[in-house]
Amino acid sequence: MTSAAIDHMVSITIFLAAILFFMNLFGQTIQTAVIYQQHRAVAVKCSDLLDTMLLSPGSPENWSVREDPIVGFGLQDPEFTQYQLSPFSLMRLTPSNGPPVYYPKTDMTYYNLTMDFGQSLYVPYTQIVNYSIASRLLGINGTYGFSLTVTPIVDVTVTPNVQPNLLTFSISAVGPGFPLAHAEVSYCFLTVDAQGQYPDYEIEYGNVTTDATGFASVVFSGFDASQVSHAFLAYAHLQGLTGMGYYMHELENENSVVPFVSNFETGEVLLAHSWDVHGGDNPALVHYNATFVVLNEDFRLGNMTLQNETMVGRLTHGLGNPYDCIIINTYTPGILIVTYRITGHQTGVVMMPWGINAMAFSVTFGGNLQNQEWVATDMRQVTVNNMAYQAKLALWSTQGYQVNG
Amino acid sequence: MMRTVEVLIVIIIITGAFMISSSFAVLPWPRQVSPINLRRLALTTMETLDTNHDLSRAGFDLSSQTWRDLQVALSASLPPNVLYNLTVYNVNSEASGTTLYAPLKSISNAADLGVTSDASSYLVASSNVTFDVTPEKIGERWGGGTLYILNCSDANGWWITGYTAQSLAEDVSRLLSSYFVKTITVQNTAQLGQILNGQALQGEIVQNAVIINTCGEAVPIPTAYCTTPYSNDSYAYYCYFLGQKVNQYNWTWASTVGYPFYYVSNTGSFPSDQNDWGIFGMTCVGAAGLNGFLRGINAEDYVKDDGWLTLGSPNPSSVMVQISSSAQDNANYYGIYPAQNQTATRALPSTVQSRYNLTATALVFDPADAGGKTWLAGATFVHRNSGGEIRGRLIPIGLTRSTDIRITALAVLSYYQPRLYRSEYSAYNTSRLMVLQLGLVGGV
Repeated sequence: MTSAAIDHMVSITIFLAAILFFMNLFGQTIQTAVIYQQHRAVAVKCSDLLDTMLLSPGSPENWSVREDPIVGFGLQDPEFTQYQLSPFSLMRLTPSNGPPVYYPKTDMTYYNLTMDFGQSLYVPYTQIVNYSIASRLLGINGTYGFSLTVTPIVDVTVTPNVQPNLLTFSISAVGPGFPLAHAEVSYCFLTVDAQGQYPDYEIEYGNVTTDATGFASVVFSGFDASQVSHAFLAYAHLQGLTGMGYYMHELENENSVVPFVSNFETGEVLLAHSWDVHGGDNPALVHYNATFVVLNEDFRLGNMTLQNETMVGRLTHGLGNPYDCIIINTYTPGILIVTYRITGHQTGVVMMPWGINAMAFSVTFGGNLQNQEWVATDMRQVTVNNMAYQAKLALWSTQGYQVNG
Repeated sequence: MMRTVEVLIVIIIITGAFMISSSFAVLPWPRQVSPINLRRLALTTMETLDTNHDLSRAGFDLSSQTWRDLQVALSASLPPNVLYNLTVYNVNSEASGTTLYAPLKSISNAADLGVTSDASSYLVASSNVTFDVTPEKIGERWGGGTLYILNCSDANGWWITGYTAQSLAEDVSRLLSSYFVKTITVQNTAQLGQILNGQALQGEIVQNAVIINTCGEAVPIPTAYCTTPYSNDSYAYYCYFLGQKVNQYNWTWASTVGYPFYYVSNTGSFPSDQNDWGIFGMTCVGAAGLNGFLRGINAEDYVKDDGWLTLGSPNPSSVMVQISSSAQDNANYYGIYPAQNQTATRALPSTVQSRYNLTATALVFDPADAGGKTWLAGATFVHRNSGGEIRGRLIPIGLTRSTDIRITALAVLSYYQPRLYRSEYSAYNTSRLMVLQLGLVGGV
């Protein structure tokens, strides 16, 4: 009798322990499956959301060049179909890279997309679509977070090699998976002419072909790079893929010109003295000459006449000395080239893209994907005014999961 | 002891069940959980490569250098962990209508794309081929096929403000001439007199013709008809005569705007007459013009009738009309897109159908009710004689000024429904199909 009771107790104890153990095992399997399903849902949402962004121009459809408030988020170029993005919509997204800049003379903060000295884009805070607005307009506020990256497919880098009376540019054109071999590279070599009060520039064009590793070089013999400010723009193109790279060299960078986009609808751009923006030790009067150029089909830069009759002027630092203002009265993407001179040969050149593709700028927009539990990504190949870009979206749930273990 | 053994047996059974169920419950690979949408990536890659039509050119240029460059561009544009296979197919059509795809050339960066590859197709067209549309000619099937456009230099128009009859005639010709066997621009009222007498101007068939009056509310009148009896009752008899001719020749008469036959115009015969609005060379017929025309087309005896038929006092002044669904279909088919909503101020009442043996067909606008009547702002009123035979048609566009000539064109096309023969994209050597298949390194 006693042994039977003990047998019952032992068996029940073992049975209950086994049941608990197996419930845990089955529970883990089911929980893992549920998490996989949730991840799968995020991945599907990621693909859908990316198409929503890229295949809709937003509302109003030309919001990127209007002052009206945006009521629908989309990046498609309203004049085209499929995955062709508006170069101006991308300019109006809050860039994740670069700290904001405050310009006291307009009492405004500008978001800053700077590649290097003289290659910058400053857009006023009031004309920017930020991450919060975009999330709300996309209907994912509070449920999903995202990070959108739009980068040129072809990465063209230009590296100078300066020797006495010899300047060599090494050009590298590579895609994400392979070098752009045997591609034609059309280049523009821009040299600042220090003669005259307002410095002008001259352009020399040429073509080279990349080798099997995607490299090419251009040699300018008899050119003293230490005496002349210059810029080198290279366009690599092959079978519909176009990439752009550039290099700038200035003899004077303590005093320069900083262009600010003031208004997209009117095309107003402010030219500020660099001391008022970045500070410095030896502020000086800057003479500038501004031109707006667009890239023609033959990869040559075509001058466009702007609304202002004169595009030259002088900028003085400090209070009481206002900035200058020019109007870019076109929505054709191009580059604002500002050459400047302090005294003698102290010259330089700065450029500002009008349309994100004009200088192959990349854009990262959205939240921080670091420390997110699980991030789904998807990508599309897109074009921005005929330049090949890759749009990559990272999406995560902000509602959290019951992560196993 | 026995119970313990039984429990152990139960544990073994449950363990077996767990192992069996686990073997069936295979969780997906992480790559399947969060896949890159390879189909979209393939499509957008081909679209990018075709930005400057380079991919289209490569589809028809199978030389090794072109495809070497294409392979470089393709490799450069895709992420390094993506495998691809790009194949171009020739598109052929058999007589039976079956489309055949024959592979011509293929490039790939891997021998095997794995089991989870995905593909997109992209149709490219040859730059040497023009895809066009050949319209069926109206009248080819039942005779006739002549379009007369009244562009009389010695007649003025009214309610066509902002245009001239000449500019409207050009627009009509551009919109409609391709659908007719012959398009004749009637240059003056004398030529109009000729066709009223049944005489061809350029060897065309007068019978079953379509006549479009670009003078709006005015109708050109030949000098020879500016006498009695045509001038009786302020030229209402002339309008009656026109109705008779429409019946006799089985014409289709299109009035582009306003009240049809409200004025007659001949700058030589009425040099000092004007329409009270400063347009000289025309004289007012009034409401009797349309009544006379309808009596004429219905083969009735002439009686002057001044009764106002259309919208406007004593009827409601205007109604908003909306383009009908069938007209919208026709607009899409023929590529003519007038505004969806229009203001009608001279629409005909539906009651004219029973009064004059007319049947409103091919409605451009949905009927609108107002003032106890139903108003038809744009339709083809087909007249049938007592034997049920079609003898003449009237297309009155009863919209307010100024005229939108596209509506008249749409009304004509909606009635005759000429077919459009489009070039086949599958015709030999005009199109090629590019298929880009993508996979991921690792196979799954």
